[in-house]
Amino acid sequence: MGSALLGVGHFLPAEIEVVGVRRPIAVEAVGPSTLAVRAAGGALAQAGIGAEAVQFIVFATMTPDVTFPGAGCFLQQQLGCGTVGALDVRAQCAGFLFGLVVADRFVRAGAYDRVLLAAGEVHSAGLDYSEAGAPVAALYGDGAGVAIIGRGAAGAGLRGAALHTDGRHHREFWCEYPASRQHPVRMTVEDFRRGRHYLQLDVDAVRRFADEALPAVIDEALRDAGIGAQAVDRFIIAHVLPDVADRVGARLGVSADRLSNPSACHGHLTAAALPVALSEDLARGAVGRGATVCLAACGAGFAWGAAVLTL
Amino acid sequence: MRNARILGVGHSLPPRRVTNADLISLMDTTDEWIQQRTGIRERRFSDGLTGAADLGADAAREALDRAGKRAEDIDCIVFATLSPDIDVPASACLLQERLGLGGTPAFDVRNQCSGFIYGLAIADKFVKTGLYEHVLVVGSEIHSTGIDLTTRGREVSVIFGDGAGAVVVGPESDSQRGILSTHLHAEGKFAEKLWLECPGSRLRPRLTEEMISGDDARMFPKMEGRYVFRHAVTRFPEVIREALDANGLVPADIDLLIPHQANLRISQMVALGLELPEDKVFNNIERYGNTTAASIPIALYEAMAAGKVQPGALVCLAAFGAGFTWASALVRW
Repeated sequence: MGSALLGVGHFLPAEIEVVGVRRPIAVEAVGPSTLAVRAAGGALAQAGIGAEAVQFIVFATMTPDVTFPGAGCFLQQQLGCGTVGALDVRAQCAGFLFGLVVADRFVRAGAYDRVLLAAGEVHSAGLDYSEAGAPVAALYGDGAGVAIIGRGAAGAGLRGAALHTDGRHHREFWCEYPASRQHPVRMTVEDFRRGRHYLQLDVDAVRRFADEALPAVIDEALRDAGIGAQAVDRFIIAHVLPDVADRVGARLGVSADRLSNPSACHGHLTAAALPVALSEDLARGAVGRGATVCLAACGAGFAWGAAVLTL
Repeated sequence: MRNARILGVGHSLPPRRVTNADLISLMDTTDEWIQQRTGIRERRFSDGLTGAADLGADAAREALDRAGKRAEDIDCIVFATLSPDIDVPASACLLQERLGLGGTPAFDVRNQCSGFIYGLAIADKFVKTGLYEHVLVVGSEIHSTGIDLTTRGREVSVIFGDGAGAVVVGPESDSQRGILSTHLHAEGKFAEKLWLECPGSRLRPRLTEEMISGDDARMFPKMEGRYVFRHAVTRFPEVIREALDANGLVPADIDLLIPHQANLRISQMVALGLELPEDKVFNNIERYGNTTAASIPIALYEAMAAGKVQPGALVCLAAFGAGFTWASALVRW
């Protein structure tokens, strides 16, 4: 028995101009859980179930509503899902893929029949929109995507996946503070004034790594699924640097009309990038039911992965 | 489908003991008040540049040793914490670097006091369904750098301590043994009864200087103690009974209950409600305080060292905490 993707939905706040680019930005003070509520509406409708039928929630984010508890708890409350479990996962840009594998395995193990997998980010609350921070701030947007994972027949749903992390690179793409390892206090006013609570990335290192890691992990996921790249109807490749997806697609021999590059459209939505793009592709008919898609992402950690799904 | 079991358990505690008397020099409190309300006599605080991944790596090495496995045998790392080393990426990445396991999937679970059981549930499903052979589950916390050690924060800060525990989960061929079940719950409507608000991406901006230095202490955890207590003494027995019911067992079948070490008074009320004798409930909160995600694997380690976990024993792990989240796991050793 496998798992099936029963529904997918997304929500993007209205675009506004920030640091010279148009980005979806959650102007009202809401967290990723509130964006995910709106994305969940579409996903639940597509799955033909109500929130009360959800048996477990998995939430992937790197920008939670509050420091703790997790965004999943806030989503659960807003959806009205009783006392079902709500797991928060942190795997940065690969968060949706890690969450997808977790949801799939809970379903396969028979623990749950319907898991709501949410990925949401409100980056705008934590970006440095000053001149110094503009190059990084321009890369990001806010948004949420939700997938409903349920029981399915073999040959459909999640057919193959590969997940990886390499913590040796964690300093090349990180937000260092607050840092519980800093004694005696995890963040001081001085740390704040030095801007150490903003995301920093070594663009060259991040690009170089993804250029190698993404084709390899896509190949691994395809092998896990037992299919070749030609059997994939659409590739969705999410990376904070929009040139990466185009280059990886070209290297895999994927024509531009079979490739979605979400960060080129909305800025990078981190964990939310893949489900938002999948939902958009379904909505505009770029893929339909029965199509096979390959999702891939690589980001901070470094954490990266790929998944092959038949819709 | 095969079963999964815990192959080895490890722990790590920083050496510095902080007694209730030591806290009296920082805040207006008394040893009697702390002991009466929580059962805690001392806790451990780390020093220097020690993060959750540092303690976690030590605990992981011990768990690997006990399991008779090498780091290279690990196929996946699940790290439960609410006090990550840095903001991004996850502490699992830093732990993985310390263990020299570049390439191995590693991610964090952020489920507070229930984090270890949520992580164990993931490892159980990964191994059961054959995705991975060996999964490392770590619970580790450095609370000491994130609590308000003044009179203002005393209700929370006297409770928490630093520490780490880890288990290696692998396959079990006997369908009657290993992890029999996991049950996971949450109730987000009580999220603000025990929480740490800032930084918070629902705020604009998520972090300000005032949040760090202001009188309202929004960068420190807050708790409505009585509220949490009341829910804990309901949800603990409920989720333990749920686990027992799912396996056709009754409380008298439990050989050892290892509750998350939230508060000794909670554990005592839970034991009373389930009619479990004192020697069937493991507590060590008097020495370590509440180490949130780390408390269950630390307690499991000590219970095993004390000879309280023999082959064939039915061990129940249970947790309740911020979220609210709560969970149980039933294990036939």
